[in-house]
Amino acid sequence: MSHVVALMFSLAGFAALACASRRQQRDLFGGSLGSAVTLGFRLAGGAALLGALAVLVAWHGWGLALVMYSGHTSLAAGIVGAVLIVYGRSARPKFRPR
Amino acid sequence: MTTKSEQQSAGRGIRQSMSELHTWVGLLLGWVLYAMFLTGTVSYFKDELSQWARPELARLTERPDAAVVAQRIATAFDKVAPGTSQWSVRLPDDRNNSAYAFWRTASREPGQRGFAEGHFDPATGERVAARDTLGGDFFYRFHFQFHYMPVPWGRWLAGIAAMFMLVAIISGVITHKKIFVDFFTFRWGKGQRSWLDAHNMLSVFGLPFHAMITYTGLVTLMAMYMPWGGQVAIKSPAERQQLQAELSAFTQPGKPSGQKVPMASITEMVREAQQRWGHDNVGRVNVTHSGDAAARVTVTRGDSGRLSMSPQYMEFEGTTGRLLSARDEVGGAAETRGVLYALHLGRFGDGFTRWLYFLVSLAGTAMVGTGLVMWTVKRRQKLSDPARPHIGFRLVERLNIAGIAGLSIAMTAFLWGNRLLPTTLAGRANWEVDLFFIVWALALGHALLRPVRAAWVEQLGAASVLLFLLPVLNAATTQRPFWHSVAQGDWVFAGIDLMCWAFAALHLVLARRTARHHLAAPIKRRADRPGAAAIASGGAAE
Repeated sequence: MSHVVALMFSLAGFAALACASRRQQRDLFGGSLGSAVTLGFRLAGGAALLGALAVLVAWHGWGLALVMYSGHTSLAAGIVGAVLIVYGRSARPKFRPR
Repeated sequence: MTTKSEQQSAGRGIRQSMSELHTWVGLLLGWVLYAMFLTGTVSYFKDELSQWARPELARLTERPDAAVVAQRIATAFDKVAPGTSQWSVRLPDDRNNSAYAFWRTASREPGQRGFAEGHFDPATGERVAARDTLGGDFFYRFHFQFHYMPVPWGRWLAGIAAMFMLVAIISGVITHKKIFVDFFTFRWGKGQRSWLDAHNMLSVFGLPFHAMITYTGLVTLMAMYMPWGGQVAIKSPAERQQLQAELSAFTQPGKPSGQKVPMASITEMVREAQQRWGHDNVGRVNVTHSGDAAARVTVTRGDSGRLSMSPQYMEFEGTTGRLLSARDEVGGAAETRGVLYALHLGRFGDGFTRWLYFLVSLAGTAMVGTGLVMWTVKRRQKLSDPARPHIGFRLVERLNIAGIAGLSIAMTAFLWGNRLLPTTLAGRANWEVDLFFIVWALALGHALLRPVRAAWVEQLGAASVLLFLLPVLNAATTQRPFWHSVAQGDWVFAGIDLMCWAFAALHLVLARRTARHHLAAPIKRRADRPGAAAIASGGAAE
């Protein structure tokens, strides 16, 4: 259970951090967001990642939690990265030269 | 006083130097590193692979009581190896369906101490006749000591490769100046740029793991790589014994008294250990001079939930069951080594954590693979005559095919061999290993003889077919086909079948993409399709 909750927090964290990146803002929203919104995404992302760590520490203690946290964050970053790639591919205009 | 432009120039210089260092340390032993990464990755499930490799051993529906099993094995040893000076049994657990034991035999040659080994049924204590195989242990051993060479040589080679990897990681971090800005950047269809983005993503997402696994891998064999401190500090046999006790629970047998005395109940000794560490947290029982007045029984703690490989054990007097000593902690240096060792092996974790290790390690494998392929993609664009590349380029290209796609075929062939080689074949376990290397050598020959793109497609395709059909072969040659495993809730066998199909799909996608680019290359090699051009001119995925 702790793994599921921690992974959800990690996914939310990296999704928010992706939304805080200029390049992803252009891909997802068509342009750069305001600095306040960007800062908000950044803070939300950081908070969610800290939340994932807190969940694991509460369940497993610091030693195991830090190891698990490394795995959770890597996996979550990979999933968010993969979703962005798939989204980028599907959202790209289908230009077919004749 | 340096100007800002000079500082920037110096910064660029360092980055450029690190980039070149990264490129060459990554390439020179890249194929060795790829093989170490991939075999190390599957080794996170080595116990499950070993179960799969011995389908004769029945699945355990529930974990047996270690105390009862240990007594059964002890009784069995009165028949299996009477008079042995030492036997040691790894008790069954959630990941091992048999009790695995080894014991000392009479010396085969002067100065050598022989060992024998076997699997025992936890329910009866009887020795089980399973096929002769190394199972998942082959990949595990290969991962850090290779094969067909003296063990120290293999471990030195692994150490040098790991040191190269550590240098590659550090130089890669320095080279990659926009780690956070480009964290999620992947530009599809941009040829070399896409390969670089993929390499960066695979590296950065798992960076803590990659750094940890490389550094801790070096630490596991540090005493071998740097023995001089120990040689200076530890000289007497007593000091060596003390050091050994800090590092391992496996003790050498002392001298027997020659006086025959019945053994006390091993069940009771294990019960005492269960009270100390938990009912399901006993790992191993080691007995020396069973039936002698000097008999000793050592019960060691299991790995589960403990982020350290430092030994924790209880030593009992064999004939009375009296607790002689209990070791719960070691010195600071030994504990540091124990924690780093445990981090590398990952045996402390639950199933989910093991999957995390597996997936991030797989990303590390892909990181090395993309780095190797990128070397050729980048240089192909600079070749004066791409149709006739220089010998070094051709060598890297062919080694990439055999080292990446060929290794997938060889590892799958090992598993095919496990199911197809006759169980009565003499030296069967060695034949499985020989088959792995024969197939790998054939893959290298194929890569050398065939055109690059065709070789990639054919080898990736062959790996896909072999992986896809492995569960079919398993169904045809054992009583444990996929549907039966699912119905019985046997997720070791079902899981391996599913993983075979997942990897078959991955290899198929790679083969199809490579083949498709080959067919489209003459049409699509246009300025507005640099990715297609680069891929079409490069090979698999390359």
